[in-house]
Order: sequence, then structure tokens, then C-alpha cells
Amino acid sequence: MDTLVQQLIIGLTNGMVFALIALGYTMVYGILEFINFAHGDVFMLASFLALTLVGALGLQQQTGMVFALELLGIILTCAAFAASLNWTIDRLVYKPLRKAPKLAPLVSAIGVSFILQNIGLFWGGMPLKVFGGGNQAAAPKAFPDLLPATNLLGPNSHLTLLPKDVLVIGASLTVMAALYGLVRFTKLGKAMRATAQDPTAARLMGIDVDFVVGATFVIGGCLAGFAAVIYSLYINTVHYQMGYQNGLYAFTAAVVGGIGNIPGAVLGGLLLGLLRALSDQFIGAQWQPAVLFGVLIVILVFRPAGLLGSTAREKV
Amino acid sequence: MAEPLLELDQVYASYGAIESLKGVTLSVQAGEIVTLIGGNGAGKTTTLKCISGLHAVSRGSIRFDGRDLKNLPPHDIVRLGIGHSPEGRRVFARMTVAENLDLGAYIRKDKVETALDLAKVYALFPVLEQRRQQLAGTLSGGEQQMLAVGRAMMARPRLLLLDEPSLGLAPLIVQTIFQVILTLNQQGTTILLVEQNARMALKIANRGYVLETGEITMTGPASDLLVDPRVQSAYLGQ
Ligand SMILES: Nc1ncnc2c1ncn2[C@@H]1O[C@H](COP(=O)(O)OP(=O)(O)OP(=O)(O)O)[C@@H](O)[C@H]1O
Ligand SMILES: [Mg+2]
Repeated sequence: MDTLVQQLIIGLTNGMVFALIALGYTMVYGILEFINFAHGDVFMLASFLALTLVGALGLQQQTGMVFALELLGIILTCAAFAASLNWTIDRLVYKPLRKAPKLAPLVSAIGVSFILQNIGLFWGGMPLKVFGGGNQAAAPKAFPDLLPATNLLGPNSHLTLLPKDVLVIGASLTVMAALYGLVRFTKLGKAMRATAQDPTAARLMGIDVDFVVGATFVIGGCLAGFAAVIYSLYINTVHYQMGYQNGLYAFTAAVVGGIGNIPGAVLGGLLLGLLRALSDQFIGAQWQPAVLFGVLIVILVFRPAGLLGSTAREKV
Repeated sequence: MAEPLLELDQVYASYGAIESLKGVTLSVQAGEIVTLIGGNGAGKTTTLKCISGLHAVSRGSIRFDGRDLKNLPPHDIVRLGIGHSPEGRRVFARMTVAENLDLGAYIRKDKVETALDLAKVYALFPVLEQRRQQLAGTLSGGEQQMLAVGRAMMARPRLLLLDEPSLGLAPLIVQTIFQVILTLNQQGTTILLVEQNARMALKIANRGYVLETGEITMTGPASDLLVDPRVQSAYLGQ
């Protein structure tokens, strides 16, 4: 029983990170019907920025108001960085291809993904102390364990619940609630939903569709930047290929949840996280990919449009 | 005559190599109902798209209220006072009727006036009020058409472009839609109506234009066009 609960905690925290990244894929897809394959690498670069900032501020494990503010500052800076990067990529690379055949922006996105990975490799080779002096650019970099390792359930408990678990789950839920509020209740959210359904009709309502697309990349970038800090604090290493791997998982989560569907991305992310944790524990970590993707394929066979995706064609 | 509210002067437009408008010139005076009739592929929809900015004009000019619309994006053109109920209705299928109407008023900030206009739409189309919490995609074709017209009204446009509002509807519903168009016009909205149902359109319009393969071939008071033998044989099935 205890191991099950423990794995659920692990699955939930991992799932939250997948969900945050998956949201970026799904929101852009919802509006442009385009998979931004570089999204995961924006996440990766934001975590490199987080590590650089941690080094620059000389942060170490501690508590207190100043430390909390510094952490918040890092989160906001990384979110702003990832948002600007995502927006810039869209304007420079994807926007000129908006009316091109669908494979053109797709291949460009894969290209941008590789370019960003190379930037990550370069960044990791910079002679910074937090990057191990930059001697091994391609090696994983240790991200300091900034949060205390005290078990919140008490020293004698069989279960472990660390402050960083609470941080990941609590902060992610807050961000998701904020996103929900934005999409559901604000004028921008209304414009985003209308654009996702019918960009032409949205234009006729007076919605500036270009602006909405830009805003979507900004929001997706924010979520990726936020996820990057959370992930780094949680996993305690960063690596120039972590965006590729986590991005692929998150993309899968978005498809399983129903691509283009915001609650679906969250559901898919959590499902992926939980499945991974359970199969690690009860079947064996070496079989994880086969078990995980086996289950996901079965889900897609029965629900090809994903768990919350709609298969119904719309009347036009 | 006063300066027209809308004026197209030698408008050309194309899809790639295919030229679909070849010098369309037409005007609409404030307060009028003007209808644009013509067969399939004549360029009626393209004309409306050029006016609302959805399609680029390659040559010629479009003026609205004395202002050149050149290079203005659709979202700015709506703000000048042109509403467009597009071909194929294009309601937001996964949103409710109420949300669709709310989006129609996207450009407005005058909450009180907007609420009054909403009441007006519901008064003209009572079925929309009954179904205001229903998803637009689950409405019947006729109800979707009413929603598309109502949604365009919500921006309180000075000029309303209607693209085949009667397409595929039962005769009774067609009557309702045309009645609403008349009412709207009496309340001050200028209307440019594209129709395949030429008889009905000419009956309620002040003037008409006939468009054939991208060119205006006839124009005049609607009552004259109704009895014109060429119009009768080509568009009125006589
Ligand atoms: N998206 C498009 N791509 C290429 N050609 C197009 C496109 N839309 C319209 N056309 C062409 O432009 C011409 C005018 O089309 P338009 O839709 O304006 O006609 P219409 O008068 O509205 O016809 P209908 O009564 O059938 O709606 C047609 O020859 C059509 O084939
Ligand atoms: Mg048409």
C-alpha cells in the first residue's frame, strides 16, 4: 500500500511537469493545427537559464523570505525568457510559413529544435562554475538541491513527501488554474477559443488573429519556462537533450489527452506520469517505454482522437 | 445624390492565376437594401470577402464612408462598421448560442447598449433565446443561419453584408429571414445582400446588380430587374 501511494506521489509530480509542457503543444496546435516541435527545447534552454541564474546569485539550500523571493524571481525570469524566445521563433520562422503546405512549418520546427539543442550545447560549454567549468558541454549538469530534504510526513513515516513535491504540485495547480481562468473568462481567452474554432469567423468578429497567435506562443512559452524551473528543482539535473525527451513525452500526453484540448493535456500529462511511476515500480524501469507506450497505443486504438478530443465533424 | 456609404470602383481579385473579379463597380447608399445576384462561381462571395478584408483586392478601390479600405485587415474593417454574415454561416460550433452572440459584440465596450441589442436579436429570433445554452453545432441549418445573422447584428454594423442567408432553408424560415432583413433595414442598417434566391432578394431590395463571371452585367432598381426578360430567364426560372 505504502509503495503504491509513494509511486502515486512520484507519478503525480512527474505528470504535472509533462502537463505543463503538453499545454504549450496543445494550445499552439489548437490554434494553428501545427506541432511546434521546438517547444521542448525552449523548456530546456529555460532550465539552462535557471541554472545560470542560480549560479550568478550563488543560491544554496536555505529558507526565508529573501530566498523565496529570489526563487520567484528566477521563475518569472525564466518564464519571460521562454515566452520571448517562443514568440520570436514564431515571428521569424513559422509566421512566414503560415499559408505554406503543412510539412514546411513542421520541418522548420524540427530544424529549430536541433538549433536550440546546439545552443544548449554551447551554453553548457560556457566556463561557469555551475556548469562544472564548462569542460564537458554535453554532460548533464547538477542543479543544486535548493529545497530542504525534510520529510513533511515526519521522520518516522514510511512515506516520503518532500517540500519539492509540494512545490511542484502546488505551483503547477496554481498555474493551471490561472490558465483556465484566462482562457475561460478573459477577452483574450474568448478570442483564443474563437480563433481555435474558426479563424476566418474570428476575424469577422473583430479579433486580431495574428495577435492571438502571438499571445498563444507567449503563454505556451511562459508555461514551459515555469515548468523548466520546477523540473530542475525537482530532478536536480539539466541536460541539453532533456527538452527533446520530455518534449516527446509531453507531446504524447497532449495527443493522448486529445490534441488541441486544454484539460486533455493536463489529463494526458498526469496519466503519463502515473503510468510511468507504476510501471517502474511494479514491472521494472527497463521495460518502462514498452509498457508506457503499449498502454497509450491501446488508449488511442479505442479513442483515436484522444481521451477528451472530439471526433465529431462540425457542420459548416 | 449624397456620397455612397459603400463604393467599389473597378475591383479586381484573383485566386492564384484565376481572376474571379474583373473590374466590379457598385455602390450602396446609406439606408438602402442592395442585392447582388448571379450564378454559381460568379464572384459574389469574393466581392463580399474583398469588402470585409478577407480577400485581397489586386486592383481598384473600395471606399466605405469616404474612407479607402486598402490594406486594412478584417478586424479593423469591422470596427469601421461593416458586419459580415459569411457564406456557410461559420458559427462557432463548440460554443453556445449565447457565446456566439457575445463574440459578435467582441469589438464593443458599451455593455448596456449591447444588452439591448441582444434583446433585439432574441426578439427577432425567439428560437435563439430558447436555445441560448445549446451548442451552436447542434442547431439546425436554419437556426444556425439565424445565429449567423444575429451574431453579425451584435456588432451593430452600419452596413451588413449577408451571403446567401436563405441557402438550404425551408420556405417558412426563408420568409422569417427576409422579414428580419427588412426590419433591420427599417431600423437603420444598410444592407448588401447576396442571394441565389433572386426573386425574394429583388422583392425586398431597392436596387440590384447582376454579376456574371466577375463582371457586373446589369444594374437598376430592383423592381425593373424583376420584370427584365434577361433576368427572368437566367435567374427567375421563367
Ligand atoms: N479558395 C478558392 N480558391 C480558388 N478559387 C476560388 C476560391 N474561392 C472561389 N474561387 C473561384 O472564384 C470564382 C468566384 O467564386 P465565388 O465563391 O466568389 O462565387 P459565388 O458567386 O459566391 O458562387 P456561389 O453562388 O456558388 O457561392 C469561382 O470561379 C471559384 O471557383
Ligand atoms: Mg458564394
